[in-house]
Amino acid sequence: MMKRRTIKDRPTVQPRVLAMIAYRNLLQKRLRTLLTVSGIAIGIGSVYFLLSFGIGLQRLVANQVIGNQSIRTIDVKPTNSSIIKLDDIAVQRISEVPDVKEIGKIYYFPGSFKLNNSETDSIVYGIDKGYEQLTYLNLIKGELLKDTAVKNPIVMNKAALEAIGLGKDPSIVIGKSIDITVPLPKIQSQSKVYQRSMQIVGVIDSGSGAEIFIPSTEFRQLGVPALTQLKVGVDSVETVSKARAQIESIGLETSSPVDTLNEINKVFNYLNLILIGFGGIGMLIAILGMFNTLTISLLERTKEIGLMVALGARSVDMKRLFIFEALFLSLVGATLGIVGAVGLGWLINIVMNMLAAGRGVKDGFQLFAHPYQLVFGVIGFMVIVGLLVVVLPARRAQKISPIDALRRE
Amino acid sequence: MPTKPMLFTAKNLALSFTTGDQEVQAVRSCNVTVPEHAITVIFGASGSGKSSLLNVVSGLQKPTSGSLLYRGVDVYEQSLNELAYFRAHELGIVYQTNYWVKSLTVLDNVAMPLYFQGQSQAEAHRRAHEALSAVNMGQFATKYPALLSGGEQQRVAVARAIVADPPVIIADEPTGSLDSTNGDAIIALLQKLRDDHGKTIVLVTHNMEYLHIANHLLEVQDGTVTQIEEAQIPRTVKKMLGDAQTRITKLMEEHTT
Ligand SMILES: Nc1ncnc2c1ncn2[C@@H]1O[C@H](COP(=O)(O)OP(=O)(O)OP(=O)(O)O)[C@@H](O)[C@H]1O
Ligand SMILES: [Mg+2]
Repeated sequence: MMKRRTIKDRPTVQPRVLAMIAYRNLLQKRLRTLLTVSGIAIGIGSVYFLLSFGIGLQRLVANQVIGNQSIRTIDVKPTNSSIIKLDDIAVQRISEVPDVKEIGKIYYFPGSFKLNNSETDSIVYGIDKGYEQLTYLNLIKGELLKDTAVKNPIVMNKAALEAIGLGKDPSIVIGKSIDITVPLPKIQSQSKVYQRSMQIVGVIDSGSGAEIFIPSTEFRQLGVPALTQLKVGVDSVETVSKARAQIESIGLETSSPVDTLNEINKVFNYLNLILIGFGGIGMLIAILGMFNTLTISLLERTKEIGLMVALGARSVDMKRLFIFEALFLSLVGATLGIVGAVGLGWLINIVMNMLAAGRGVKDGFQLFAHPYQLVFGVIGFMVIVGLLVVVLPARRAQKISPIDALRRE
Repeated sequence: MPTKPMLFTAKNLALSFTTGDQEVQAVRSCNVTVPEHAITVIFGASGSGKSSLLNVVSGLQKPTSGSLLYRGVDVYEQSLNELAYFRAHELGIVYQTNYWVKSLTVLDNVAMPLYFQGQSQAEAHRRAHEALSAVNMGQFATKYPALLSGGEQQRVAVARAIVADPPVIIADEPTGSLDSTNGDAIIALLQKLRDDHGKTIVLVTHNMEYLHIANHLLEVQDGTVTQIEEAQIPRTVKKMLGDAQTRITKLMEEHTT
């Protein structure tokens, strides 16, 4: 007696063998497979290309805007009407806020300087070590205030040198003497003017307005009662908003580069959506091509599938065969598309950098970003799309009756 | 003499096709058997219903009425997966027409029944090489089946039917496109499979010369299946050979006049 077996609806063919059959079939129709894979590659490639451009641009803009500020910092100012000043008491209270790690102190006043008999207006900053640590200052010559041993040191920016016609070679001003004049706000209804000869120790690159930096102690010794601004460093980006709320409850105004970053991200999220929309048109064509290929393949192979079932294959095996083919097309197409998009982006980036350099932009830049989340996200997306596209043909493959299929001519 | 155990038993089995308002009785209600470890030859005129009967026996075509038992189990009471299991493990089939998966080589085509049993490619290839050698087609392993001659394809089809070493081999005119040398070799192979390996063989053939190897005959005439037991075979064969002789004589007379 033949034993009755209850057989689960499980495929029997080994995945490797099924993959081999799927691969051979795709290879058999070389041109069609090539066209389908190209379609997917172009569709996926354009989506990837546009997104990588969107993200790259977003990063570039964010870098330009945020520039030398860490996004883990909070700028603190007194409110316009407030009686709370940025004095020692306020600094003390802020330093007690949890998550606050470091505080940078800043004074700034409009002033002027005289160098090599040329005189020009400039913003004069009084800064401390904390500020220099919290801010990334792009030093191009010499050293920063915190690192120098010079007695009356001053750091100036390139724009300040350019204002007096010395922008060409910053190194020649290092060690030179410079005269600073700053009319100070009234202290106890007395006007004072800060005037001193200082020695240039460093040149930084920061913005297009003339700026000079001196140690904050200079103003403090003169009795300037309150700081103009504070830069507060916190543990992490996540704690920024909590710390801000606490500082604001003291009665001070805060702002953070995170605000700007959020604004930028908002704009770019819209842009990315629009880009996805454009790429989506390419995707749609690719998807239709793939559906077409799989359906034609099904119709052409009805007999072959019938034969395999007649020889003992299960219907689920035949369904799987189509799923394998769809996966193969999706993976190869997506990979080629991404490789192509990365290559194209690389070329465009080189050209754009060359054009920019021709117009005097010194720093190289990256127009395209390739975060791994994007790479795997796009591949994963295509695999899901492939699986959706194959549902119908695979279901039809599963329903093929061997005897009907074999009789077809 | 003791009767051989019956492997297949057809009970009131009938198969008809309805196309439009026309009904074709491909197999009329019959009660026949296929003995185990024996060669059953099915013969009859073209269009009499031989292939239709084989399709029912090989689990591909559900009969319109009646039932088919294999080792006592109703074949068509099984689920589709059980039927697939039955075909993969119990049967080796040579179809009347040659069917191939065109993108696969001869070797992979022959290996297919093993793939459907869940075997690895290496093991399936090893056994497919053996099966091809058994039909003298070893050197064609890497070719594509559609490019072979009809006779070569038929031998590959035999290799595919025996590759999984199934207990039952069903062959619908396996010698149809073969010259007498190659045809004889296939018939000798089938005999050997019965005698040395105890296989059950169901063979459709038009060639009267091969009737003598049968242990059991099923004659099909316009859908009616008549069973001829082993003891009566020599007489039937003689009668048929006699009929054939008469036909040839008649044809020759027509030709000369
Ligand atoms: N699917 C079908 N639909 C309608 N009629 C069919 C179908 N299959 C077979 N037939 C008919 O059933 C009859 C028997 O066909 P079958 O193929 O079994 O003959 P056969 O004995 O194998 O002939 P041959 O020796 O030529 O192969 C024929 O009249 C055929 O037209
Ligand atoms: Mg036939």
